[in-house]
Amino acid sequence: MSDNENTHSNPDRELIESVWAEARDLVKRLEGSSVQRFAVAAGDYKIEIERGAPPAAAAPPPAEAPAGASGPIAPSAGPGLGVAPGARMASGVFTLGDMAQPDNRVPVLAPLVGTFYASGQPGAKPFVEIGSTVEPGQTVCIVEAMKMMNEVAAGEGGKVAEIVVENGEWVEFEQVLMYLEPADE
Amino acid sequence: MFEKVLIANRGEIALRVARACREMGIKSVAIYSTADADSAAVRFADEAVHVGPHHPGKSYLHIPNIIGAAQKTGADAIHPGYGFLSEDPFFAEICSDNGITFIGPRPDVMEKVGDKAIARDLMQKAGLPLLPGTIEPVGTVDEAQEIAASIGYPLIIKAVAGGGGRGMNVVRRAEDLERLYTTTRSTAQAVFKDSAVYIERYLDAPRHTEVQLVCDGHGKGVYFYERDCSVQRRHQKLIEEAPSIHLSDEQRKDIGERAVAGALSVGYTGAGTMEFLLDHEGNLSFMEMNARIQVEHPVSEMVTSVDLIQEQIRVCAGEPLSVTQEDVLLRGHAIECRVNAEDPDRDFAPAAGRLDTYVPPGGPWTRVDSHCYPGWSIAPFYDSLIAKLIVWAPERGEAIERMDRALSEFQIEGRGVKTTIPFHRRVLADEVFRSGEVTTDFVEQFLSRETVAA
Repeated sequence: MSDNENTHSNPDRELIESVWAEARDLVKRLEGSSVQRFAVAAGDYKIEIERGAPPAAAAPPPAEAPAGASGPIAPSAGPGLGVAPGARMASGVFTLGDMAQPDNRVPVLAPLVGTFYASGQPGAKPFVEIGSTVEPGQTVCIVEAMKMMNEVAAGEGGKVAEIVVENGEWVEFEQVLMYLEPADE
Repeated sequence: MFEKVLIANRGEIALRVARACREMGIKSVAIYSTADADSAAVRFADEAVHVGPHHPGKSYLHIPNIIGAAQKTGADAIHPGYGFLSEDPFFAEICSDNGITFIGPRPDVMEKVGDKAIARDLMQKAGLPLLPGTIEPVGTVDEAQEIAASIGYPLIIKAVAGGGGRGMNVVRRAEDLERLYTTTRSTAQAVFKDSAVYIERYLDAPRHTEVQLVCDGHGKGVYFYERDCSVQRRHQKLIEEAPSIHLSDEQRKDIGERAVAGALSVGYTGAGTMEFLLDHEGNLSFMEMNARIQVEHPVSEMVTSVDLIQEQIRVCAGEPLSVTQEDVLLRGHAIECRVNAEDPDRDFAPAAGRLDTYVPPGGPWTRVDSHCYPGWSIAPFYDSLIAKLIVWAPERGEAIERMDRALSEFQIEGRGVKTTIPFHRRVLADEVFRSGEVTTDFVEQFLSRETVAA
C-alpha cells in the first residue's frame, strides 16, 4: 500500500474507489481493442494504465504513418490489454495489486469478418474446448468468409479459459473469439 | 427501394450517404477500420461493422470483409462512395454475384468507361467532341511520329490505364518524342501493368469543365449542368464552382445533351461526370468519364436544388429519375473549398492530428460537408480532407464574399494541425481568381506570384 493511503479522508476514499472502479471497467471494455494506454482522473486522483503484456510479434506500422502522429492514445497492434499484477501507478495513488484482481487472460481476436466455426468440418470435433492446452501457433478455430476457411492461430500458448462466440456466429474484425490463460501461470 | 444500404467508404462521403439514406427511410450500415471506430458515419448510421485495421488494403478495400459485413447485416445494396472500390468492376461483379445491388453502373459499362481509349472511341461515336489525337493505342514510335506530324505540338502521351495526372508526358518538341514515348510506355507498364498509351493534342492552360449527369435504367438521362474545377494543385482539385462562367447557355445546353447522349449510348446508369477541357476559343473536348459520384457534387446540388445522392440511389434501385430536364433549372452560383489538413506554407505538407477546436461556419446558403467534430483525430492513413465548405449566392461575386466570410468563421485547431483555410482566403482575394480567368495553371502561377511578392 502506498504511504499516502492512510491520510485519505472518507470523501476522498469514495472518489478514489470510483476512479478505480471506472479504470477496472475500462480495462475490461477495452479488452481486445488496440488502445495502448489510457487514464482516468477525478479531482486530484488519476490512474494511468498501460498495456502490461509485451507485444508479441507486433505488426509493423503502416507505411503512411509519420512519426508522432495522433494524440495521447496511439493505435497499435498487439495482444489484449493486460494489467500486470502488482504494477505501480503514477505518483500519488495506489498500487494495483491491492485493489484489483488482475486479469491476464489473452483474447484471441477474429482476423477478418466472417463466420466463426469451432471445428474444421460440420460434425467434427472442435479444435479446442474449455481447459484445452494450446501451443503457440496452434489452430484454435476457423473464420469463414466468402467460402474461404481461414484458420485462426493462437499467438501465445495457454489454456482455453472461455469461448465467447457460438459456432456459426458471424463475427467482425477483432471481435473476441475466446480467452486463453497464459501457460506460465 | 432498398431496405438497407451498406456504405463502403469513410469520412465525409460516408456520412453524406448515410444522411441521404436516413431521409429516404433506408437503413444504413457503416463499415469502419480501427482508426474510424468513433467516426461520424459510425455514430450516425443505423448499424456499424468493424471490417479491418487502419490500412485501407485490409479494410476499405478488403472485398471479402465488406461483402461479409453486407451479408451479416442483410444489406441489399452497397454504396461505394468515391475512391476506394467505387470504380472497381471486379467489386461490382462480386456484389452482383452475392445478390447485392452495387450503387453505380453495371460492371461491363464501368469497364468500358474506365478504359480511356475505349471511352474516347465510344464518346466520339456518340457525338462528343474530342481533341485531335488517337483513339487506338499507339503501338510504335513510328506511329507516334506520324500522329505527331498530323496533329502538331504540343501533344501529350497518356497511359490508357492512368488517370488523375499520372502516367502522362507532355511533348513540346519533335526531338523529344521518341524518348518520351518510350519512357511513358515503360513507366505505364511498371506502374499500371499496362503499357498501352494514346496521344492527343495538348492544351496549355485550359479550363477543367465537367458535366454532372444521372441516368436511370429506363433510357432517360438528365444533366445537372457543369462545374469548373480549374483550381487544382498537382491534379488535385482545391476549389470548384458551378456553373462555368465561360459557357453560354447554348453551349451548356449543347454539351449537357451530348454528355447525356454519350452516357446513354454505353448503357450508363447512375450518377456520373463527363470531363472536358475548355480552350480559349470556347471549344470543349472530351477527356474522360468518371463513373461514380464525385467529391464536388454539392456545387451542382446547390445550383439545381436536386439531391444527387438520393437521385443516384433511386435510379440504382430501378426507379425512374425523379426529375425531367425541364425541371432542372440552373440558378445562381456555388463555390466549394476543400479544407484539407495540410500546411500551405510548407508546400502543402500533411499536417493532421487531433482536432481540439472544430467550429464550422453557418448562416445563409452556407453548407459544410464534414465528418469532423471536436476531439476527432484525423488519421494519417487516409486523405487529408477535413471539410468541404460550399456556399451559394445569386452571382459569383457575392458567392466569393460569402465564401470568404464563411472561411473566416471556420475554427479548426489542434496540436500540429494546419489547414488550407488561409490559402483559400488568399485565392479568393486574388484579382485573377476574382476575374474568373482561371485555368488549370492558376495555382502554380498564384503561388509564384505570392513568392515574388514576398
